[in-house]
Amino acid sequence: MRKKIMGKKILAFLTLIVVFNTSLASDALVIYSGRSDKFVKPVLEAFTRETGIEVTLHAGKSTGLLNKLQLEGERTDADIFFSNDAGTLQKGSELGLFAPIAAELTDVVPANYRARDNTWIGLSARARVLVVNTETDKAKPIQSVFDLASPSLQGQVAITNSTNESYIAGVTVYMQATNKDKVKSWLEGLKRNAEGKVFNKHSKIVSDVASGKHAVGLVNHYYIYRHLAKHPKAPISILIPDQGKDGMGVAWNVAGVAISKHSKKQQQAQKLVAFLVSPKGQKQFAEVNHEYPTRKGVAASSEVPPVDTFKVADVPMYQLGEQRNATIDLIEAVGMP
Amino acid sequence: MTKNNFSALGSIALTVVLIATIPLIFVIFSSLQLHAEQWSGLWSNRLPGLLWNTFSLAILVALGCFVLGVSAAWWIARRSFPGRNIAIWLMILPLTIPTYVFAHIYTSLLEETGWLGQAWRAAFGEAIAIPDIYNVFGATLVLSLAGFSYVFLLARAALSVSTRSLEEAATIQGANKAEVFFKINLPLLRPAIAAGLSLVVLHVFSDFGAVSMLQYQTFTLSIYLQMSGRFDYQAAAGLSLVLVLLSLAFLVMERFFRTRQRYYSTRQVRKHTPKPATRWETTIIWLWLGLITLFAFALPLAWMITWSWDAWMQDLLSSEFWGYAFNSLLVAVLAASVAVLFAFPIAFYHTRRRSLLSNVYLQSSSIGFVLPGPVVALGIISFMLAILPWLYGGFIALLLALVIRFLPLAVQSQDATLQQLTPSIEQAGRSLGAGPLENLWLVILPMIRNGMAGAWVLVFIDTLKELPATLILRPTGFDTLPVRIWIEASEEMLELAAPAALMLVVGTLPIIWIMMKSEKKAL
Repeated sequence: MRKKIMGKKILAFLTLIVVFNTSLASDALVIYSGRSDKFVKPVLEAFTRETGIEVTLHAGKSTGLLNKLQLEGERTDADIFFSNDAGTLQKGSELGLFAPIAAELTDVVPANYRARDNTWIGLSARARVLVVNTETDKAKPIQSVFDLASPSLQGQVAITNSTNESYIAGVTVYMQATNKDKVKSWLEGLKRNAEGKVFNKHSKIVSDVASGKHAVGLVNHYYIYRHLAKHPKAPISILIPDQGKDGMGVAWNVAGVAISKHSKKQQQAQKLVAFLVSPKGQKQFAEVNHEYPTRKGVAASSEVPPVDTFKVADVPMYQLGEQRNATIDLIEAVGMP
Repeated sequence: MTKNNFSALGSIALTVVLIATIPLIFVIFSSLQLHAEQWSGLWSNRLPGLLWNTFSLAILVALGCFVLGVSAAWWIARRSFPGRNIAIWLMILPLTIPTYVFAHIYTSLLEETGWLGQAWRAAFGEAIAIPDIYNVFGATLVLSLAGFSYVFLLARAALSVSTRSLEEAATIQGANKAEVFFKINLPLLRPAIAAGLSLVVLHVFSDFGAVSMLQYQTFTLSIYLQMSGRFDYQAAAGLSLVLVLLSLAFLVMERFFRTRQRYYSTRQVRKHTPKPATRWETTIIWLWLGLITLFAFALPLAWMITWSWDAWMQDLLSSEFWGYAFNSLLVAVLAASVAVLFAFPIAFYHTRRRSLLSNVYLQSSSIGFVLPGPVVALGIISFMLAILPWLYGGFIALLLALVIRFLPLAVQSQDATLQQLTPSIEQAGRSLGAGPLENLWLVILPMIRNGMAGAWVLVFIDTLKELPATLILRPTGFDTLPVRIWIEASEEMLELAAPAALMLVVGTLPIIWIMMKSEKKAL
């Protein structure tokens, strides 16, 4: 008799799993987010308070979530896609995963910071800057990112590993703003100066420069302010490269939003985008991470240099997606660590 | 048994094997879409370096785990000394810390301002640089500390069984202590050590957490980079296929060595009675075990507690935290139970048949373990959307992926247990008139209950720590502890990940306690 009872138990157990499986669906607006929870939660909470629309945050790697969105096709739960990298957003557009966003929403953001076909909008921008140690003169002569390849800086330059998406985006901008050969020889010099030691986290570059082990590091601007918030007396400062009349301008990258083509809640999704590009939403989305709002006229947080005091490289953000593979090819050809 | 019963068992086993190979089918299918030139590109540029990196790491980690695991197991199984039970715990506890947490903790401990960095400066001043762990040795250190417990567990189980009669026979023949160890103990231990080391090596092959944190390019890391850098899951699939072939070659080799060594004990298994340790031995034992514990558990634990306390003080822990813990527990319990259930037909079929086919089943069921998590995940998504779309969206996809990933753990440990069953016991049951199923329920299952429990615990612990597949396949908004660790750590605010990591350790304690208790009862 015992075997029958056991068999039934097993069957009941498996059935229970199947039944329980289907009871998880909900009505909330689902967001696949490649941007940190900590930075999107406050603004989403404000959105829910204002509109009464609930949201479910599903965090992951931008690229992993995009792969998932593609494989899921029309079965996807996702209504909204957030990414910290314009390249990833553009890739999603190329794969046809996003629905167009209404023109009255996209128009408040300059054309450089959104998709050509309006399938994604950049919401907040970060600058690819240099962090320099203020106790040494070694970094004094630097004015351009291209100076990082100068032989006098051997062993003094801290960079991330070449798979970092901000790093790849930066190199793409330099390729577009100048030319491939220049970037190639720059990467070779950079590789020599890094002496085989690269970092896996931007925050580690900043603390390493602060401790004086390297004179200069290539990072996104907000990592510097994050470090200074914890260690106000750290001997570091921001250097915005490639300024002046002949400079190409500093490289930007944007975090942005897209609406899933297969979302069954297009209206609510458009409402969320409307909130995010509104002055209030813009302020909140960018400020938590010391970033620059993409909407004209919305000021960034007071710690960072005001947006009209420096020059930004004139490269449309969709290029970060379109040229991404070319950049990776170059990085691999040079053999960057 | 009659032919009929065998084929019933065989078809159940085949079904499970087919489920286990879903991701492999995806990998083969995707690699078929690679052009010849893409293959040759992969082959000439990357493979030699990746092969070298992966193999050298696997060998070094296997060595590290062998030294740590076997030495600890030997002392603990063969000597009785004060605190021996605590020592067992201390040797198992490192299993509760995921490799990515290990790697992160060690990178931050060895920074200039970290505890070990400061200790180093205090000891050596500025003269000698703090050791760099972003290389093969750092990765070896982290993965050995995270994995030696597998070798310990299996070696200790084998050492606890008495081989006194054989040892005595050898001594009477004039063998000295060293000869007894190398000619009697080590050969008898070989299957257990081989099983433990193969677990370790497979973990190294599939590890992503530690190698990505330490920037050490292995096969798995490079597969991830293909997928995330270029959205190229076909190239990723191509590399995965190579990884699968390598791992299979390794597994077959390991099996070959193991199957040549089968021992049925002639009598009921007796527990070995350990010799009391002298005072001098006790000191040595505790110095050694203490050293292992310090680096494998105490330091990481202290780090987690420090930062969790910080988070607690800053009120960073929300009520949602308990929800994450509950989700983790739910998934791990379900996955472990289903995996143990699924593994049994394969292990049992292999034990009774020992044919080429049963071996093929056994090896095929191991594939999930060597495939990188994201590849398994994408395979499951494609499969479910094509075949079972109505089941997609809940957590069955996740459950399936976890079961496939960790099925080999359950199969291996059930197989090891079943091997110890003398066929004569089963034959006795049959000759007393029990039907085949009755025999299974009344004779075999009760005898391998501990093996089943051990299998369950192994799967449970790995599932609880699993990140890459969970990250992709979890139902919308369904976060587990490792997912939270990853989310908090990804914005480089790594300290915020400490409470979730600590919770993982605490959550595993009762499970290990249950395992130890059931073991005690058995012997």
